[in-house]
Amino acid sequence: MKICIINGSPKANNSTSELLIGYLMPFIKENEIITYRISKRDFSEIQFSQIQNSEALIFAFPLYIDSIDSHLLRFLLELEKRGFENKNISVYCIINNGFYEGRQNQTAADIMKNWCEAVGLTYGQTLGVGAGEMLPFLKDIPLGHGPNKNIGIAFQKLSRNILSLSQGKDLFVSPNWPRFLWKIQSSLDFWYPQAKKNGLKRKELKDRINY
Amino acid sequence: MNILIHDLSNEQFRSLFPEASDRVRVISDNGTIRHCVGCFGCWIKTPGRCVLKDGYDNMGELLSRCETLTVISRCVYGCYSSFVKNVLDRSIPWLLPFFKTRNNETHHKRRYQNNMRLAVHFYGENITAEERETAKKLVKANCANFYVSDYEISFSNSEDELYKEVTFI
Repeated sequence: MKICIINGSPKANNSTSELLIGYLMPFIKENEIITYRISKRDFSEIQFSQIQNSEALIFAFPLYIDSIDSHLLRFLLELEKRGFENKNISVYCIINNGFYEGRQNQTAADIMKNWCEAVGLTYGQTLGVGAGEMLPFLKDIPLGHGPNKNIGIAFQKLSRNILSLSQGKDLFVSPNWPRFLWKIQSSLDFWYPQAKKNGLKRKELKDRINY
Repeated sequence: MNILIHDLSNEQFRSLFPEASDRVRVISDNGTIRHCVGCFGCWIKTPGRCVLKDGYDNMGELLSRCETLTVISRCVYGCYSSFVKNVLDRSIPWLLPFFKTRNNETHHKRRYQNNMRLAVHFYGENITAEERETAKKLVKANCANFYVSDYEISFSNSEDELYKEVTFI
């Protein structure tokens, strides 16, 4: 089966979308897989043609302001403009968000369903994963175990549907980790250390411009 | 201060709302906007200000002085148009990176304490029922994340209808 994966993250490298694509790969590796990053500008005609002639089209992207970021939106419009002569394509989405709850990806999933309707493709399934910034910290823990338990189960279900080009109910998951702990750790282990690297004190993160 | 973000062409905008620029701060597409690259620089490098210097880097600060935010946008798959979405993506410096829980959902804490009113006017010739529903959900979610309690949303099929909907400019 021809599978085309679009990494919709605007980040060039080390995105959570890239990590999640890596999680999917072992499940679908027996197929002909092409992966593109939309952060690389200017897709060639050949690349567009490969997208248009895939059997499964998988978008992996982050949630921006409750929906799809503007760069991916422009790309979707470009795909609509070019059109899909081959309508036998099933579309799957792996969406990650910074909030704890994977269910906050629902609206972005609905936007992708509306895009499918506009271009005449079949929507397969969504996997929405919460606590996106935490996921790289868990990357050495096998899928299906510990904090990655739910994520692993969800990838199994999603990959089964991709391999059979079936449709499935949207899946929304968060790491198996208490929300209160995640919230504290996001400040202590993520935001504060990043600010320190940039020479900022903790309180400076709350600076207001012209106040 | 009131702010209007729109994606109309200059000609369309001037003909529909000739006096708007005197009354509101207008944010429109001058062709220079760059898309958010998810670097979090506006949170952890230059707090409150985007690191991309393209004239749209002060959205957080502008929104901190905003009373009513009006958005005029083509409805694209139930989302905003790419330009309007681009401006909104660049508006996260209004928020802090830290989280809080409200109504059993996590959201970012606010950097500023002003409470905005939001009016979103979607337009488009063939907006489907599903796209309308998605757009309503999207605006509601945006309100939750930007601490907006007072909002309105409209859908217009034509410029005439849009002109009637946008009453307070």
